Amino acid sequence: MAIQQADKLLKKHKDLHCAKVLKAIGLQRTGKQDEAFSLAQEVATLEPTDDNSLQALTILYREMHRPELVTKLYEAAVKKVPLSEEYHSHLFMAYARVGEYKKMQQAGMALYKTVPKNPYYFWSVMSLVMQAISAQDEKLAQTMFLPLAERMVEKMVKEEKIEAEAEVQLYFMILERLGKYVEALDMVRGPLGEKLTSELQSRENKCMMMYQRLQLWPECNALSYKLLLKNPDEWQFYLSYFDSLFHLMDKSWSPPNEEEHCVEGPVHTTVAEAVKFVVDRMEEEDKKDSRPLRGPYMACLELIHRLRQRGCPDEEELGDPLELMLQFFGKFGDKPCCITDLKIYLHLLPPEQHTQFENRLGELVPLGEVGEDGFGFPGDTKALQRHLCVCQLSRVLGLQHTLDTEGKLCLITELKAHYHYGLQFGKSCLKTELQFSDTYCLMVAHVYIDLWTETGDENMLWQCLGVLEEGLSYSPSNAQFKLLLLLLFCRLGAFQPVVDLYSSLDAKHVQHDTIGYLLTRYAGSLGQFAAASQSYNFSLRFFHSNQKDTSEYIIQAYKYGAFEKIPEFIAFRTRLNQSLHFAQVRTERMLLDLYTEADITSSLEESVKAMGLCPEEDDIPWDNMRDNRDLTVLFSWDPKDRELTEEHRRLSLEEESVWLKVRSLTLRLLASLALLGHAPSKRNSDKTNENGVSAKSSTLQTLLSQLDLTLQTAAQITEKQTQYPFLGPPSSRLASALSSGSCHCQASALQLSLTLQELETTGLGKMSDLLSRCKGDVLEMKDSRLMTQPSLLETLVFFVETVCVVLWVASYSASVLRPLKSSLQKKKKKKTKDSSTAMVHTHYRLILPLSHGSYFPPLALHLCLSLPSLSQEECGFTRAAMDKVQTSYLGSLQELGDLLRKRADSLKSLKF
Amino acid sequence: MTTLRAFTCDDLFKFNNIQAFLNFLSQYGIPFYLQYLAHWPEYFIVAEAPGGELMGYIMGKAEGSVAREEWHGHVTALSVAPEFRRLGLAAKLMEMLEEISERKGGFFVDLFVRVSNQVAVNMYKQLGYSVYRTVIEYYSASNGEPDEDAYDMRKALSRDTERKSIIPIPHPVRPEDIE
Repeated sequence: MAIQQADKLLKKHKDLHCAKVLKAIGLQRTGKQDEAFSLAQEVATLEPTDDNSLQALTILYREMHRPELVTKLYEAAVKKVPLSEEYHSHLFMAYARVGEYKKMQQAGMALYKTVPKNPYYFWSVMSLVMQAISAQDEKLAQTMFLPLAERMVEKMVKEEKIEAEAEVQLYFMILERLGKYVEALDMVRGPLGEKLTSELQSRENKCMMMYQRLQLWPECNALSYKLLLKNPDEWQFYLSYFDSLFHLMDKSWSPPNEEEHCVEGPVHTTVAEAVKFVVDRMEEEDKKDSRPLRGPYMACLELIHRLRQRGCPDEEELGDPLELMLQFFGKFGDKPCCITDLKIYLHLLPPEQHTQFENRLGELVPLGEVGEDGFGFPGDTKALQRHLCVCQLSRVLGLQHTLDTEGKLCLITELKAHYHYGLQFGKSCLKTELQFSDTYCLMVAHVYIDLWTETGDENMLWQCLGVLEEGLSYSPSNAQFKLLLLLLFCRLGAFQPVVDLYSSLDAKHVQHDTIGYLLTRYAGSLGQFAAASQSYNFSLRFFHSNQKDTSEYIIQAYKYGAFEKIPEFIAFRTRLNQSLHFAQVRTERMLLDLYTEADITSSLEESVKAMGLCPEEDDIPWDNMRDNRDLTVLFSWDPKDRELTEEHRRLSLEEESVWLKVRSLTLRLLASLALLGHAPSKRNSDKTNENGVSAKSSTLQTLLSQLDLTLQTAAQITEKQTQYPFLGPPSSRLASALSSGSCHCQASALQLSLTLQELETTGLGKMSDLLSRCKGDVLEMKDSRLMTQPSLLETLVFFVETVCVVLWVASYSASVLRPLKSSLQKKKKKKTKDSSTAMVHTHYRLILPLSHGSYFPPLALHLCLSLPSLSQEECGFTRAAMDKVQTSYLGSLQELGDLLRKRADSLKSLKF
Repeated sequence: MTTLRAFTCDDLFKFNNIQAFLNFLSQYGIPFYLQYLAHWPEYFIVAEAPGGELMGYIMGKAEGSVAREEWHGHVTALSVAPEFRRLGLAAKLMEMLEEISERKGGFFVDLFVRVSNQVAVNMYKQLGYSVYRTVIEYYSASNGEPDEDAYDMRKALSRDTERKSIIPIPHPVRPEDIE
């Protein structure tokens, strides 16, 4: 429709650029990319300067994913209309979209010269900063780009032209990146710093950052102290207060005079002062009528922790950690976060105090009278939360883990009773809200898992699934229930229920990267190919949109002067592009397509070409891989020694990376195998590198040796038999791929294709040379003289012998493959499928050229070769000798011919 | 006990524990977050627990005409993880957004909330907000639930000395009639 309208317009106004572009957009959107592109280029080469055409072309190029063409467009427009603020600004943004920082710097300046507005000047400055950030050479950044940016800003400062907060922010960014912290600090404290008003505490935060960088501990301490007096709940300032205090103590710093310690005010330099400060803060909270803040009480535990680390005896002045934690529980035990808070400091309790701690906590939980079942229940949600917190603490302390089977089963009964009792408090909860007692249910599941993993009793697993399903029926939006069910079903190898569970989690955007692994690890490997394909697509769609989304907002950040966000957006984009999960789904998606479609709906070669797969190209950022997986997405209250450690994370990433390498090499090998496909037909016509055959085989060679090395590394990794915590990352498929032998089988099959490739190019290829050398006349009359060429016979015998050897090898290969082929037909599910089809393929490649008979017809010609009639003049004896030779030649040719004919027959029987 | 700081893109990777939202707007797409970060970074604040867990966040913006005395702060999203509820964190984050709006010279702060979300409505009332008007079918249907009305709630800032901005409009309005 749009195309027709545009056509109508074009009939009236033949050269209406804009109508042409609109038509091109119509064509593009109806899938006629080529037509659209040539129509657009028709207009673009005329270098239009009307806004409509330019904007329409911009839209079109963006849809074509050719943002670089927009820059060309506005470069031309700016040349023709050099005073247009709009076009200059469009040109700047077009460069921004493709990240051409140097040109942005120039475009920004050109814009400022046309229209002297501050933002334009600072666009140019920011582009210099971006050149510094993106520079490969840090020296170039530090000695050229950043100093230049600094000078540009200084110029504006001197001329008193600084207007906006964004400009001050940018100045600060430059000084910070230059390491000029003193200057940055002066600037923030000075008149320019007064412009920093949007963000709360912007100046204080920046000063603090500089104090830490400059190790100005007195200032750091005094500022933290000041800010804590104002807001005694700001955790980061407790940390900087303690950090600076201990630095000052280590340096035995003392204030220069009695009056003023430093520009920020009084400085604390002794443990006694710190203890008093923290105790005072707690007392303040105790006195308050309103809700007490957790900060001061947590700070007290943090201080004990730090004093203990330093071996400082003064911790006693703060009190016994056990009592302090009980006090904390008394105040905050009814908050769901109480466990998260206390968990951090449980190590302050010696193991022999653990049971005592649990009992004392229990005394602080108001429960009703003990009923028939031997349990007392909480009367309201606050009491419930307290009871829950004690259960959680007991688990974190490892007290649940030390119970025997009997004890664990009793615990389950108790927790279940609490769970069911607690459901009454949430009767009016909306479907989107969680039940107050959900955590009991989850903990029951955890104890069942303990029992299952310890005893191997599968009944425990079924019970566990049951209790989680029940929990979900009361609390349908509890993500933890879903995640744990999902994990258990996957471990059981049952992927179907997982699909619905995951989709009800409603994972969005970055979550595809952070928790997508839960799905993609299992979908394909459990044989649910349709679901696998779908889950890869979810993830891939997100990753692909990332590129487009981020460039748009980088441009917006320029417009609104959010300069500090620009490197952040770029880092965000990079983090997603370098994601382990992204590389995995990219690779697995293509492998899955090949496994399920290649040589079924289309040939392997077509499939590979359709994917644009190039075996030489490796697009995985091996050295900068980012592991964005959220490996603690499942709640766990396991004690420290059972928790996921940094080492686990490292090993899991290592294992996944090696597995990814195996998969991506397999994919690239399959691609090069597919592209070797037509090598034989080209062999005769061209032996040079022109058709790329030998280049391809060297790729194959390189990839094979890489695969070999990777498999060696893989073997070393699987030897370690790393066990991750149950709720941590799943193991990769590496170990089972190796132990099943599938990796090595695939590698050998692919190796075979390389050998065959050699046979074709250097082996069988030489055969035709050999054959052509057999061509000729053994006996010939030349200038009335009889000439012989006995070497032809010898060559012919070599040819025949070689044919025999090749045929025997072919026969051997057929005998190896025939049973595979029949088993393949019988048991389609058999795992060796890939390798056996690959081998059947290669077998065909081996015997096909021979069976084409391409070697035999020319031979037949030779055998029919008629001998020249001998000259009459020869005398009787000579003639007799000549006859003997001729007869002998015929005899040899006869025998050789017979043998070849027999071999040709046996070749026929080789086909299957 | 919380660390309050500017939201950064890296926080998006730690989002998994913040699930249920106070105003029931489910998670937005990346472009939405990036748009706010690019335009109103100061209005996007995250609260972090000592263990590094994300506790919650607030996301807002400044908009409206100064001449018509409609320049104001808007709360786009406020969310606290279930684990960190009942600590007064939402109130703290709202206080910060109001403070930023004060500095920008806003006349009031406003927000939209589902009329059915009584918990949130009451919380906002406690924080000094009142219903300014009802917006009909502001929340479009999802998962078989019908369209739902929203309350447009407001709180006057110090610049609006006569508190003119919060005088309720008695008649409900349609989403297309609000700015």
